[in-house]
Amino acid sequence: MSLLEVKNLTVEFHTEEGVTRAVNNVSFSVDAGETVGLVGESGSGKSVTAYSILGLIPRPPGKITSGEILYKGQDLLKFSERELRGIRGNDISMIFQEPMTSLNPVFKVGYQIAEALMLHKGLNKTDAWNQAIKLMDQVGIPDPKRKAHAYPHEMSGGQKQRVVIAMAIACDPKLLICDEPTTALDVTIQKQVLDLISELQHLYKMGVLFITHDLAVIADIADDVIVMYKSNLVEQGKTKDIFEKAQHPYSKGLLSCRPGLEGNPKRLLTVSDFMDNSGNELKVSQERMKPFTKSYTHEEERNPVILKVDNLKTYFPIKAGFFRSTVGYVKAVDGVSFELRKGKTLGLVGESGCGKTTLGRTILRLEEPTEGTIQYGDISINELDKNDLRGIRSRLQIIFQDPYSSLNPRMTIGQILTEPMEIHGIGSNSKERLEKAEYLMGKVDLLPSHLSRYPHMFSGGQRQRIAIARALALNPEFIICDESVSALDVSVQAQVLNLLLDLQEEFDLTYIFISHDLSVVNFISDYVGVMYQGKIVEYGTADEVYHNPKMDYTKNLLSAIPKGIPKS
Amino acid sequence: MSQKETKSLWAEALQRILKDKVATLSLVIVVIYALIALLVSLGLVAGDWATAAGPENMAPNGDFWLGTDFLGRNVFKKVIYGTQVAMSVGLVSSLIAIPIGISLGAVAGYFGGIVDEAVVWFYTTFSSIPTIMLLISISFILGKGINSVYIALGLTSWVHLCRLVRGEVIKHKNRDYVQAVTAIGGGHTKKLFRHILPNIFHIVIINASLQFQVAIKSEVILSYLGLGVQDVPSWGKMIDDAKQELIQGHWWQLAGATIAMFIIVLAFNILGDALRDALDPKLKGKDA
Repeated sequence: MSLLEVKNLTVEFHTEEGVTRAVNNVSFSVDAGETVGLVGESGSGKSVTAYSILGLIPRPPGKITSGEILYKGQDLLKFSERELRGIRGNDISMIFQEPMTSLNPVFKVGYQIAEALMLHKGLNKTDAWNQAIKLMDQVGIPDPKRKAHAYPHEMSGGQKQRVVIAMAIACDPKLLICDEPTTALDVTIQKQVLDLISELQHLYKMGVLFITHDLAVIADIADDVIVMYKSNLVEQGKTKDIFEKAQHPYSKGLLSCRPGLEGNPKRLLTVSDFMDNSGNELKVSQERMKPFTKSYTHEEERNPVILKVDNLKTYFPIKAGFFRSTVGYVKAVDGVSFELRKGKTLGLVGESGCGKTTLGRTILRLEEPTEGTIQYGDISINELDKNDLRGIRSRLQIIFQDPYSSLNPRMTIGQILTEPMEIHGIGSNSKERLEKAEYLMGKVDLLPSHLSRYPHMFSGGQRQRIAIARALALNPEFIICDESVSALDVSVQAQVLNLLLDLQEEFDLTYIFISHDLSVVNFISDYVGVMYQGKIVEYGTADEVYHNPKMDYTKNLLSAIPKGIPKS
Repeated sequence: MSQKETKSLWAEALQRILKDKVATLSLVIVVIYALIALLVSLGLVAGDWATAAGPENMAPNGDFWLGTDFLGRNVFKKVIYGTQVAMSVGLVSSLIAIPIGISLGAVAGYFGGIVDEAVVWFYTTFSSIPTIMLLISISFILGKGINSVYIALGLTSWVHLCRLVRGEVIKHKNRDYVQAVTAIGGGHTKKLFRHILPNIFHIVIINASLQFQVAIKSEVILSYLGLGVQDVPSWGKMIDDAKQELIQGHWWQLAGATIAMFIIVLAFNILGDALRDALDPKLKGKDA
């Protein structure tokens, strides 16, 4: 008997707009000591499936219309809320995506772990506290005795996720459900957390159901993989089999859309290369799959230098005391110099807090530099006054990370796209500007007729396209992409990366591409700068940096990338 | 993505309110009260409230639905006239409080620094004066009467809105979409008026609907204390009159005024909640 068996599960959501089937007739099982990866893009129904197991989908509007969820042979769907509570956190526990929000900010972390123990194991306060410290030690939190007294905001993201894991395993669960537990984390931390989960799994012989949108993440920890697409289970099998000979076109697309460290084609393959809209398989041409090597000809080296940054520093003062006097500085950017040639892409990589975002924002003077020069063509950006700065903004643009917050929710797409043109007097009247907006919509593969819609009617990937169109509205020469694909699913990420490359070719754009994802940076960049503590510690062509890293820090980053190769 | 036709967000909000039966009923009640107030101001209804229409202290009956008072005046007409007083107090005090609250809050939140500190200092100091004392002193300075009630209530009720607006502006000014306006070269006016304020305007509307009912209640208290409306009937004055009548068992004047007030205050409260649900973008799903 399997530990968990889901049989013909169908979940529907009944809303005013109608009935949506989120999960359609899905069956799978998880054995004790086995890790099953549940893969799919947002909206595929993977999270709803997992939440249904613990009865965590809101009802109404959610409704489980058919199927069985057997845990050790008992149907969880027939359990009362009270009985389910005994199961949750005790037999089956769950790790959520966002460690920031899954811990309660007003309680000490030690107490939050101890609480589960008091609730389910009936331990008294002292025993539970001691047990919590043991658990924190086990999940690799240094100095657990002291750290147990810390509040969540006093810990780093990785440590918080470790606390969440400690809470999840506190009651020796038989089944652990992980909902994208590493998506919000840096690569190096992601690797540590993945290793920890798989170590604990072996130790406790737990069954693990691991939900993710990124196949590469689970390649070396999952035994089985289930692929979900548009509410349906489209493929399941041994991890090795899926990676080597996936059957369904969607799985094939998902496997090839993530850029690797080498052998990438000129444009990434996307799901739409493998499958048309009605789900029919397409033949991918050899030409399309051919690996593409970037060339560094001397011809290109003669492109003019468009941006020259010299010894740039951005410090943020730390103020303390009654008179708010400055007691020190956060050195976000601490002496950065580089040159960038026209039509090229510089990738900036580094972990969160390394200063890469501040660097990008300082170049555009969205933050004020403390010291150093920013030379753009023959303009010294660091010396411009407010009015001149506004004039030059049309030439330098930025695309932000989160497409959900970078578009004003109260404006239509048409207003969003025409506004920059109005400011800079592009187009002589609103009709002309609207025509240009329609043209831009076409450029980013969206329908011009959607200009009258509001941002909330679009998906994340579509919103990012709108943000790109807005940046293009001013005919810029230079665009900073600040983690512009990080919030997107891998399958959508590939489309947006391809779009950025197409636009670069068409308009001869120069990019600075900021990301924590090394494989993405490798794919899109000509040059790479690795940032650490406000400095560029390694700089070179993408090939040099990735194949012959000189610094240990770079080597560590590179080795932490999920290889996407299943264990044999 | 939804395939529905694109509607403006305000039209969508109105539609959402109309779907909720209780909220619609509240909206209808508010509109009826407003209409009554309008008709009274135009002198079309209840203009003859002051004439003794029948015997004194008559209990409610077919001719006088709420009976008559100690001068034989029609209590129902007094309630109707009081509606005009209540609604105009709500409206005018909101019209005074809202611009003060929005402009101070927006300026403080947007520019920060010394401007912010000055505004915060001002409203914390201002709000630490007991409201009722402030009201009494304003009524004394300006003299008794409806105008001083307007001003007194308007000047004492902007602090709450100012705090809310300041907080929201601080939150929104660091959002990416406002940063994006900086990046395309937009100035302060554009950022504040075209981008930030439309995104927090729902707070103002919700606040106004709640402000209305607070003002109505305050007017009643002020008039009851003898500091408010003079010479014309208001619900507060009716309740004040009823003090003496109650001992003799004449309950109708008190009942008429309190029920009229209860209904409109409840309607505004429900409407305020419904407006929050309908307008607050946070409560909407990302892809709703």
